[in-house]
Amino acid sequence: MGKAIAIIGTGQTRHGRRSDVCYPDLVREAVTAALEDAGITLKDVDGVVLGTMPSMMEGVSSTHFYFAEAMGSIGKPVMKVETCGSTGQSIAHCGFYWVASGMADIVLVVGSEKMSEGDGQATMTTVFDPFFQRTFAAGAPGVFTMQSMEWMYRFKIPEEKGRDAAALISVSNHDNAMDNPYAHIRTRVTMDDVKNARVITYPVRLLDVCPASDGACAVIFATREKAKKICKKPAWIKGLGFRGEEFFYGESDKSIWMSATEAAKEAYRHAGIRNPLKELDVAEVYNPFTYQEMIFYECFGFCPRGEAPDYVLKGTFMKDGKLPCCPSGGTLCTNPIGATGLVRLAEAALQVTGKAGERQVEGARLALSHAMGGVDQFNAVTIVGSKL
Amino acid sequence: MRKVAITHVAQSSGVESRESLMDFTYRVNKEILDKAGLKREDVGCIIAGAADIFHSGLSCANAFDWDGIGAFLKEGSRAEESAMSFIYGCMRIMSGYYDTVLVTALVKGSENPDNDPITSFYGDPFYLRPLGVNESSVAALQMRQYMERYRVTEEQCAKVVVKNLGNALRNPCADRKRRISIEDVMRSERVYDPLKALECAPKSDGVVAVLLASESRAKKLTKKPVWLAGYGCSMDHFNPGDRNLLNGHLRIAAEKAYRAAGIRDPRKRIHVAEVCEPYAFQELLWCEQLGFCNEGKGGHMIDSGMTEMDGELPVNPSGGVLATNPYPARGLYRIAEAALQVKGEAGEHQVGRKVKTALAHSTHGFGGQCHSVVILSA
Repeated sequence: MGKAIAIIGTGQTRHGRRSDVCYPDLVREAVTAALEDAGITLKDVDGVVLGTMPSMMEGVSSTHFYFAEAMGSIGKPVMKVETCGSTGQSIAHCGFYWVASGMADIVLVVGSEKMSEGDGQATMTTVFDPFFQRTFAAGAPGVFTMQSMEWMYRFKIPEEKGRDAAALISVSNHDNAMDNPYAHIRTRVTMDDVKNARVITYPVRLLDVCPASDGACAVIFATREKAKKICKKPAWIKGLGFRGEEFFYGESDKSIWMSATEAAKEAYRHAGIRNPLKELDVAEVYNPFTYQEMIFYECFGFCPRGEAPDYVLKGTFMKDGKLPCCPSGGTLCTNPIGATGLVRLAEAALQVTGKAGERQVEGARLALSHAMGGVDQFNAVTIVGSKL
Repeated sequence: MRKVAITHVAQSSGVESRESLMDFTYRVNKEILDKAGLKREDVGCIIAGAADIFHSGLSCANAFDWDGIGAFLKEGSRAEESAMSFIYGCMRIMSGYYDTVLVTALVKGSENPDNDPITSFYGDPFYLRPLGVNESSVAALQMRQYMERYRVTEEQCAKVVVKNLGNALRNPCADRKRRISIEDVMRSERVYDPLKALECAPKSDGVVAVLLASESRAKKLTKKPVWLAGYGCSMDHFNPGDRNLLNGHLRIAAEKAYRAAGIRDPRKRIHVAEVCEPYAFQELLWCEQLGFCNEGKGGHMIDSGMTEMDGELPVNPSGGVLATNPYPARGLYRIAEAALQVKGEAGEHQVGRKVKTALAHSTHGFGGQCHSVVILSA
């Protein structure tokens, strides 16, 4: 990367059903935690970036107005950036470019969602256009299941094998979430539990799917000079990429998924990564659905196309595997959508700075974080490292 | 910090379009790329400016917009308000990672509900919204306060409409244009007393695109680059009752922009201004806070003719938001119009005096909760 930009602090709320706080208070909880982590006050912050999912989610539009006080932005310049499910990563990218532009030294990036106050699936149905696609769209699971089926068919993955690998992903994510005090779903599940769970959209079952969570996350970006002064061990941004593809679902090949492939390629190019499986120490992949997580592995070059189930069943992506994925329990166990992509980055930053507590992957120095948005349309990747 | 230039501008008309939003967007994007002699592959990054469901009937508006703005498999993003999109585009260039950025803001106001029900969703569902608070009702409170405190008259506020809709007659892209009198404005329906129908902005369609480039690229792309000289933005408190509606954060935003541009006396140094005035009196109030006249003297300013097309400091020669109001895109329209004035390419609504420095302003939220100020120079 050309300019050295650091993450000097991260903060998350306890995620889950947060009926104990109102929406702005939830945002404030994450902001306070991030400021404390960085050891700075709001006075040190030059600008604030906010992102949430669409207005329909909680019934308030343009939430940067509603959160003006909660996110500490009074008297400061504000950016409201949103790209659907990939919002969490897109706001981080905005924070990065704001600091890299020289217009600010320290930028606070905030993502949030309070899904218990709205109807998540109804909201997501409104992402489809009102004329052609909305009438048959059934929220997120319908689309992501279609994609999973397309992928298994294309690469001739036996249904049984796909099922086993997806179940193992669910089991290991749930196990990992037990180590994460912020995670929403913290229960252990077995392979049989997953395989016998209620069908949502065949073959996807309840335990293949993420929950709807309340939660917020804040991440603080700083210039190299500020970071060196303030922070003993910052996480450095090594690479970032964002790509989007066609709006109409049927127009692109979702088993190859160019936006995911190209976003990762762009980030690898910045970071100088040639062999991600070897060079990366940990990955926080956006995995609201187990089957989809495997497609991401292939797009990101963690394994050849069509071979993700084999790699999963070998344990490659388990906590003690070659490339641990989602040691936090991932999106599968916690999904406050507008915050989720930022949580992935915060978790990656915690890993490379050795601050991930029980979920720490020993010796992690280079970590990938990711988010996906739209109707399988957008993908964003950010790579952080412990060294400049 | 790298310099950033606006090299080209393209905009659609503000009147209701019969095209689909995707075609409508594509046409303006194609136009700007053709003007610059570029293909979409040549552009480093594309930033959209669009608000979601209430302004488009679609959540995650960027999803639908993506094809029309030419961003297929390109680096990009979306900011909700278009002045923010503009400055995000500038950041991408200043950072050194990109040499060209296309910023496009779009909306089809004709396809969605009125502004008042839409802006009522800015309010929280518990305290503000049940009271019927929306952008217009807060503006009415603000106008009453403004007139009472400074003895500005309703007629002086109405003069802003006469001026701006008159200016719009010369702007082929304007939505609402007509020659009217102060009496016409005074006689129009009182929608939120003392606000009258003609003093409130309409609801327009609009796509506007601005091509940004680094210094070296800009000089190759155009003979007349328009440089970003200053930027300021400031956020005020959420609850209108917690704020001084007559002394909000525009002063703070303007001070930041003036400092960056090295401007001490804006009244002398700014040659033309495009100000975001969805309600007529706000042009007077915002001009005070931008330092174009003293506090409480907005009424005198409009009487003096200073802000007329041939005046000392023309304000909204394009007709402003009162003439054309594609809500989330209106900020970028102000910036595009200011750039055209600096280039000397505003056509019939080019102001009389020579323009070296122009100001563009954008605001949204109740009573101007968030203000952005952009200074452009030749």
